[in-house]
Amino acid sequence: MLLLPILALLSIPFCIAASTQSTHEKLVKLAAANNGVIKLDESTYNLLTSPKRNWSASIHFTALDPRRRCGPCKEFDPAFNAVAKAWTKVPEAERDSHFFATADFDNAMGVFQKLGLQTAPVVHIHPATEGPHRPASGRTTPIVYDFANGFDAGPLAEQLSQFTPVPIPYKAPFDWARIGTAVGVLLIVASGIRVLSPVLRSRWIWAAGVVLTSLIMTSGYMFVRIRGMPHTGGNGQWIAPGYQNQFGQETQFVSFIYGLLSAAFLMLILVTPYQTNPARQRLQIYLWSGVILVMFSVLISFFRVKNRGYPFKLLL
Amino acid sequence: MPLAYALPSNLSPATVANTSSLLRIIALSLISGAAIASRLFAVINFESIIHEFDPWFNYRATRVLAEKGFYEFWNWFDPTAWYPLGRVVGGTIYPGLMATSGVIYNVLHALHLPVDIRNICVLLAPGFSALTAWSTYMFTKEMKDESAGLLAAAFIGIAPGYISRSVAGSYDNEAIAIFLLMFTFYCWIKALKTGSAFFGTLTALFYFYMVAAWGGYAFITNMIPLHALTLILMGRFSSRLYVAYSSWYAIGTLASMQVPFVGFQPVRTSEHMAALGVFGLLQIVAFAELVRTHVSSKHFQSILYGSVIVIGVLGALAFAGLTYKGWIAPWTGRFYSLWDTGYAKKYIPIIASVSEHQPTAWPSFFMDLQFLIFIFPAGVVLCFRELRDEHVFVIIYAVVASYFAGVMVRLMLTLTPVVCVAAAVAFSSLLDTYVDPVEPNVSNGAAPSAEADAAADSPASIPSTGSGATPTAPSKKAKKAVSADSSSSGLASGIVAAISPSGKGDKPRGIFGLDTRALVLVNALGMLLFFVLHCTYVTSSAYSSPSVVLASTNPDGSQHIIDDFREAYYWLRQNTPKDAVVMSWWDYGYQIAGMADRPTLVDNNTWNNTHIATVGKAMSSSEEVAYPILRKHDVDYVLVIFGGLIGYSGDDINKFLWMVRIAQGVWPDEIQEPNYFTPKGEYRIDDAAPPAMKNSLMYKMSYYRFADLFGGNQAVDRVRGQQVPKQGPTLDHLDEAFTSENWIVRIYQVKKEDPLGRDLKSANAFEQGKKRKKTKPLVRRKAVV
Repeated sequence: MLLLPILALLSIPFCIAASTQSTHEKLVKLAAANNGVIKLDESTYNLLTSPKRNWSASIHFTALDPRRRCGPCKEFDPAFNAVAKAWTKVPEAERDSHFFATADFDNAMGVFQKLGLQTAPVVHIHPATEGPHRPASGRTTPIVYDFANGFDAGPLAEQLSQFTPVPIPYKAPFDWARIGTAVGVLLIVASGIRVLSPVLRSRWIWAAGVVLTSLIMTSGYMFVRIRGMPHTGGNGQWIAPGYQNQFGQETQFVSFIYGLLSAAFLMLILVTPYQTNPARQRLQIYLWSGVILVMFSVLISFFRVKNRGYPFKLLL
Repeated sequence: MPLAYALPSNLSPATVANTSSLLRIIALSLISGAAIASRLFAVINFESIIHEFDPWFNYRATRVLAEKGFYEFWNWFDPTAWYPLGRVVGGTIYPGLMATSGVIYNVLHALHLPVDIRNICVLLAPGFSALTAWSTYMFTKEMKDESAGLLAAAFIGIAPGYISRSVAGSYDNEAIAIFLLMFTFYCWIKALKTGSAFFGTLTALFYFYMVAAWGGYAFITNMIPLHALTLILMGRFSSRLYVAYSSWYAIGTLASMQVPFVGFQPVRTSEHMAALGVFGLLQIVAFAELVRTHVSSKHFQSILYGSVIVIGVLGALAFAGLTYKGWIAPWTGRFYSLWDTGYAKKYIPIIASVSEHQPTAWPSFFMDLQFLIFIFPAGVVLCFRELRDEHVFVIIYAVVASYFAGVMVRLMLTLTPVVCVAAAVAFSSLLDTYVDPVEPNVSNGAAPSAEADAAADSPASIPSTGSGATPTAPSKKAKKAVSADSSSSGLASGIVAAISPSGKGDKPRGIFGLDTRALVLVNALGMLLFFVLHCTYVTSSAYSSPSVVLASTNPDGSQHIIDDFREAYYWLRQNTPKDAVVMSWWDYGYQIAGMADRPTLVDNNTWNNTHIATVGKAMSSSEEVAYPILRKHDVDYVLVIFGGLIGYSGDDINKFLWMVRIAQGVWPDEIQEPNYFTPKGEYRIDDAAPPAMKNSLMYKMSYYRFADLFGGNQAVDRVRGQQVPKQGPTLDHLDEAFTSENWIVRIYQVKKEDPLGRDLKSANAFEQGKKRKKTKPLVRRKAVV
């Protein structure tokens, strides 16, 4: 009669071993079911991050529901899935020792609360605590992925590869669309070279291109692009405060003023001298001189907004 | 022909020519004087001192050159930099600047003028700016005429965009490089115009000087081939181009390879391949031209053109293949980051961290160039109007330089010359048009073409047409009377006339009346005057600070000098053993070497990223982790810059994130940037600071005993505007050795290992426990008294 409980007692260690094994199998199944990404809720999260694990895991916390209005989440989600998919291609032995999982806020609210996560997306990397893949440093606490390199899949795969048993075989998908457009444009240009050649040979087309390029470049276009500055600030403000700062709309405004001033000078130099009617010529000269004076004043007053210490001003 | 105002009629052309040349000389010398004088604000406001960071190294190297001679300098191995690695200085610098100062020093001493080497170094940049003004004059003269040249010289003499890198004391490579840039370009244009191998060789020689002086020589290396290639594509291949380019490339490349730092780069790296490729292309094109002149068959000629194209494509493929195979090094990171602007931030944070490598916002452009920035496109359009070979050069230069200046603040320096040249061309065209006294005939149907030609051909700048002509200013009435509305006087036809290539305009051009002339000229002179005021203001307020010595104003308006840096460096020099190793962030390496004369771990020559990351790791990890690193590198003193007391914003806490980032690049699993932010992503140093921040060596060294300074009141960091915790950090492995007057520089001594073998933390705790017992009775006794 006592045999049964004793047997049961004896089998406890096996049961535990079996349960971790079965957990692992369950996870493998879950991963296989969804392109290598496990969809997490609270219970599966606890399974995946159980303190006794001989696998490691990259867990992606996100909020994809449109109600949550998480733009970066949508941006990052494909990258994570692409990396996870690339991981399914490694041999089974290594593949099953690292899992990719996604915890959406609406499915795993409790996890978010437990971890105190306020923002998304976040990627935690849980190293293995047991087994051959346990890190040499013995670290078991999750590592937070650093988004310093943006939301692209390339840097993600590169960074995550430091924690996986073998590097993730991720290759950026070949951009056929881009190549196609380039070839298409080239073909169109090549076929239309006879039609286009007068355009290409016209110096004034080139002049317009050159002048526009330099106008845009000298009004801070590259600054806006490199820093990713918005077109305007919030609450209708379109002048960025500070001397070393600007919004996208300022580029347009400044290049427009520069262009107008430049054009006024060109009018005075090139066009008005050909005017053979004295009264009209006088009118033009007064007009363009006025434009120069007024626009220069506008420019100076605009500059004074940016650089408060500037001591000079013209009309305005 | 009617004139708007009277001209003296009794002058011979020779007198006019002589006077104008005398005036030119006087104007140029005045411009040189103004260029030098406006750069002396720094010396007058502060003193004759070397500025900033890099100049301190250049100064130190120049001193070695002046004291020990050129060969010692060439073989100089500096064991104190990059301790314990050392640095082969002779092979890792551009020696042009030091050699120039050395030559000046030796010449002056040969003339028995015992000038201190420091004063030569301080005043070298202003002196060369005068030469820059002269070379810009020569360059612009080739574009238009002497009057445009004088304007360009005046512009570049005082434009803040160039002054920012060439004030007195700013002893850096750029000080001489802009002169060399402009003079090389002038020689190139001259060589191209005349087709003379002499000027081609001269171009090569100045190119060599430039290579020896500045890493930016690659700009010339690519500008000249680009110009040549554009000319070929425009169908303007000529034997002049062939001679000029070939002589420049052959001699210039061989000469540039003599600089040890450059070595075989001209044939091994992608930056130089454009020059080589165009050289090859020119040979092929020249050969094809030669064959063409001897063979008349149309069929054969088309085969010839086909083969030229095929050879060109094959050559390009060969370059690509060689790059792929690794025979030609691909673009270096610094270069590549100009095209792919996100590259540096991703892969070389050390480059992205430098403030002068940031993109430029529009106020910087306006601050540095003021009204030149919007006249310069007009000048480019005027270049398109004439479009001689040299104008193509200015056009290419304008596009390329304005892109580069937009990407990097530092490259504003290369944009400034072309802006000055183009703006001068536009401005002098304006003045020419409106100073010229010749009035056109009032339109009455069709103007006689003979008179129109005379009007167009009459020289504008040297008015010598006055003989016999009666100056008459037609009254308004007369003009109105003749305002016959002909179709030829519309705006549209004016534009059409304007854009037809100059000199061949078959329409009369000129200005009627004196009031119109006066209006435009007064407007123009007003703008020039405003420009002078602007430049003086910007130079004196923004660009003349040595940054080694800081200035602030007292409540009564007088100047207060903050001299913490030199105070601290001299303390190091006088109170520490000569071989004491000082660790600091790399920004201060050159200054410590130059002023304190102590070995440093890292300095501004950022060649070894791992070494810098090691320092970053030591600064950003806790004392226990950092201490072994410090001991392994024999560090005796650690120097930090702290601006929290007086509000000096360029301090180490503000640079701290870059230390973390660079360290993270090498040890990603030990240092992680997000740990240094609060969970909300803020950068805090107050009570809410994250533990990684609070335990970091940098934080501890910056705020050690800071709260005590406020005597129980709330301590406030004036740079961050945050309240510092009352319970300040404690240090177990370091001792505070020196703190300067305004707390800008703080120096800590690294403790040796405990003689009893305890770890320093427990040893410290033990000592403190003992001290407390000792001090208690003392206090009691005091209380009784």
